[in-house]
Amino acid sequence: MANIDLDKMLEKVKSSQWLLADIDWDAPGAEMISDEQRPKLTRFMSDLVWIEHVGARGFAAMAKNAPDDTLRQLYTYFHAEEQRHANAELALMRRWGMLEEGDIPVPNNSIRLSIEWLDRYADDLPYHVLGSVIPALEVALDGALCKFLLDEVSDPVCHDVFARINDDESRHLGVGFTVMEMQGHDKTLLDLVEMITPAVDLRVVLGLVVYWPLLNKMRDNVVAMGLPEEKLFGAMKKFEKIGGRTAAGRRNPFFRVISAHMKTVMDRDQLFYHVPVDLMVRLTDRIPRRLLPAVPSWVKELTAEPYA
Amino acid sequence: MGKAKQQKAENVVPMTQPGPVSVIIVGAGFAGIGMAIKLKQAGITDFVILERDQRVGGTWRDNQYPGAACDIPSNLYSYSFAQNPQWSRAFSGAREILGYIDSMVDDFGLMPFIRFNTNVQGMHFDEQKGRWQLPCEDGTLWEGRSVVMASGPLANCSLPAIDGISGFAGKVIHSARWDHDYDFSGKKVAVIGTGASAVQIVPELVKQARHVTVFQRTPGWVLPRPDYRTPGWQRRLFDRFPAAQTAVREALFYGHESMALGLIWSSPLTRALEAFGRWHLRRQVKDRWMRRQLTPDYRLGCKRVLMSSDYYPALQRPNCKLVTWPIDRVSAQGICTAEGVEHRFDAIVCATGFEVSHQGTPYPVTGVGNRQLADDWSGGAQAYKSVNVAGYPNLFLTFGPNSGPGHNSALVYMESQLDYAVRGIEKILRENLRMLDVKPEVQARYNIGIQKRLAKTNWNSGCKSWYLTPDGFNATMYPGFATQYANQLRELKEKDYRLVPA
Ligand SMILES: Cc1cc2nc3c(=O)[nH]c(=O)nc-3n(C[C@H](O)[C@H](O)[C@H](O)COP(=O)(O)OP(=O)(O)OC[C@H]3O[C@@H](n4cnc5c(N)ncnc54)[C@H](O)[C@@H]3O)c2cc1C
Ligand SMILES: [Fe+2]
Ligand SMILES: [Fe+2]
Repeated sequence: MANIDLDKMLEKVKSSQWLLADIDWDAPGAEMISDEQRPKLTRFMSDLVWIEHVGARGFAAMAKNAPDDTLRQLYTYFHAEEQRHANAELALMRRWGMLEEGDIPVPNNSIRLSIEWLDRYADDLPYHVLGSVIPALEVALDGALCKFLLDEVSDPVCHDVFARINDDESRHLGVGFTVMEMQGHDKTLLDLVEMITPAVDLRVVLGLVVYWPLLNKMRDNVVAMGLPEEKLFGAMKKFEKIGGRTAAGRRNPFFRVISAHMKTVMDRDQLFYHVPVDLMVRLTDRIPRRLLPAVPSWVKELTAEPYA
Repeated sequence: MGKAKQQKAENVVPMTQPGPVSVIIVGAGFAGIGMAIKLKQAGITDFVILERDQRVGGTWRDNQYPGAACDIPSNLYSYSFAQNPQWSRAFSGAREILGYIDSMVDDFGLMPFIRFNTNVQGMHFDEQKGRWQLPCEDGTLWEGRSVVMASGPLANCSLPAIDGISGFAGKVIHSARWDHDYDFSGKKVAVIGTGASAVQIVPELVKQARHVTVFQRTPGWVLPRPDYRTPGWQRRLFDRFPAAQTAVREALFYGHESMALGLIWSSPLTRALEAFGRWHLRRQVKDRWMRRQLTPDYRLGCKRVLMSSDYYPALQRPNCKLVTWPIDRVSAQGICTAEGVEHRFDAIVCATGFEVSHQGTPYPVTGVGNRQLADDWSGGAQAYKSVNVAGYPNLFLTFGPNSGPGHNSALVYMESQLDYAVRGIEKILRENLRMLDVKPEVQARYNIGIQKRLAKTNWNSGCKSWYLTPDGFNATMYPGFATQYANQLRELKEKDYRLVPA
């Protein structure tokens, strides 16, 4: 996967598009979801939809700040593809009777705050920050959540959908890791300091206040579903391994910070981190809905409909 | 069948027998008609205009989509030697502009000079005779001592290169080939493209169609267009005192000239115009995400600035939707985008612009020693002062390489080209020249200067546009003020040319 040719990747992305309409949403298999699974699966799927959707917005911000036209186009596609994943997962939820027609799942407070934060600040964030955070989240998704879901659910349509989603994700990761390496390449210490400096400001601090509880909350949700914590931990190891495969990759300071942080999130024994952050989770959950800002209009673009 | 067509052509035009003439003009658009007027005024009447269509007008005959209008004020987007006091609006519509071209044809008695349905298929210079030969699709061969190539830079259009567009089961319409018989009422319509034509079409289409979806790849800078209906007193004033209209024209000219400072080069004025554009967006679009979708990510001036006061409001109508997802392909029923949805339509309107040739030529042009203009231009089109090309004697281009204005009326530039061509043609006829050919080293030197100056302009600042070749070579725009452009063409310097007597 090392140092892929981004122009070729763009061609590959363009030729690998798929549609919701390519999937037969009425095919047999929906009945394989048991009544016992349903409530937990509903929560899991809702989270998944929102993670994809928040990821989509992250890619939109990357497209704005991309250093060249090829990357800008790649991120523009990835933005749309994450939206496609969210749309397809919505369609699955509808197939399983978890959603009424036209409904979208209610985002929890952490998600609401993340959306608000992304909408306000993500476009101004230094490119390197998102360039490292997004692959980390994607590995967590790809390596743990989706695999887990496929172990739990035997509906063949679900497997078909996630085969396509994972295929897209492998390209997202390929680009993500290549970019992280490019950012660590040929950098002197001074350059690295310059890379970090703009990242340290109030917006980022605010972002962490939103982002940390979000991760903890998500971890709790998936663990509640029965996902073994070791699997999550394993996924983060994978991120560290691939991202740190080359000297250039290891030199990227954001990669280092993020992989250390991810490991901390997955390791509940790190009490100095988890006690305050879990408190933040509870506080976030307590925020009354009416105090939260209105959702931005891009959220309303989610749809389970194959045709418009 | 072929005979019937020929007969019809003969009915339309009085000229049946092609014979050698002094000047052949290819194309009866603004440029061709302007050229004919200038030749007549110079006392040269031995010319013919070959036009492939059945009527004059070029751009303004072809672009009759709803909302089609000029975006330079009519008082400036017209010829100074044929002013029209009757413009009904500040920015007149296509129909009225076409009427203006028709009236020039009438007023200057040009109809007998035009041969319609005559599609020029190539031109070849006969060195011995010092004559250009133009074979046409109808089998005629025209000979002339000089040729004015006025076939338009934006005369050829094609559907966008999107997979599957030819397999779409509904109606496909190109903005430059509008189908007036198609009824949009009750229809669900897609518009592909968000350039100069689209911002004019969309506000009209949302009034007619049941639903309009606009597919955008890159947003452009949009500035308000101060359009208004011209009051009766103004028309009467201009009619009675042409000097008043000339004064207004001058004021408009210098107003636009000053815009060059912001549009062509990056300057504080560029920043100010960008701020103005953002203000316009903020004032007209309330939703933050939609504003983000509509905010350009390139420097203002890099591409053509769009002029519209009703485009943003139209996008926000309940029956309109802006889609920025990348288009994957067109299916039989609609447009498939990367967010996984197939958007279904009754009709697709392509407002995707024109085939602009930066490198090739619209038809083969063969010069001295059988050289091909397309070969000479394979690395990007080049000319001398946009009008002459070395190795192609007695040939004059309108709207040639590096003659495009970014900030002013194309017709202002055109007038200088026409006057320059008249000077060259007069010289050929008066001094009985076999060849008037610009020296290659003069042309080369000129272009080094042009490209050096272009490197500092907004067009070459990194965005993709039809001004540039895929390699980023700018063969389209003139890097300077209209005044500078006109000044360089004021005089035809003999020392720049190789003169070969007959
Ligand atoms: C929608 C639109 C809006 C515009 N608005 C403005 C504006 O506001 N301000 C501005 O300055 N410019 C504007 N322009 C640019 C415009 O193209 C020029 O201003 C001008 O109309 C060009 O005139 P022309 O005679 O050079 O070319 P055209 O008008 O294209 O005329 C060329 C003629 O040559 C004929 N022809 C072509 N090939 C052949 C052939 N092989 N044999 C015989 N005949 C042939 C064509 O049929 C056509 O009639 C606009 C262009 C478009 C498309
Ligand atoms: Fe995804
Ligand atoms: Fe992804």
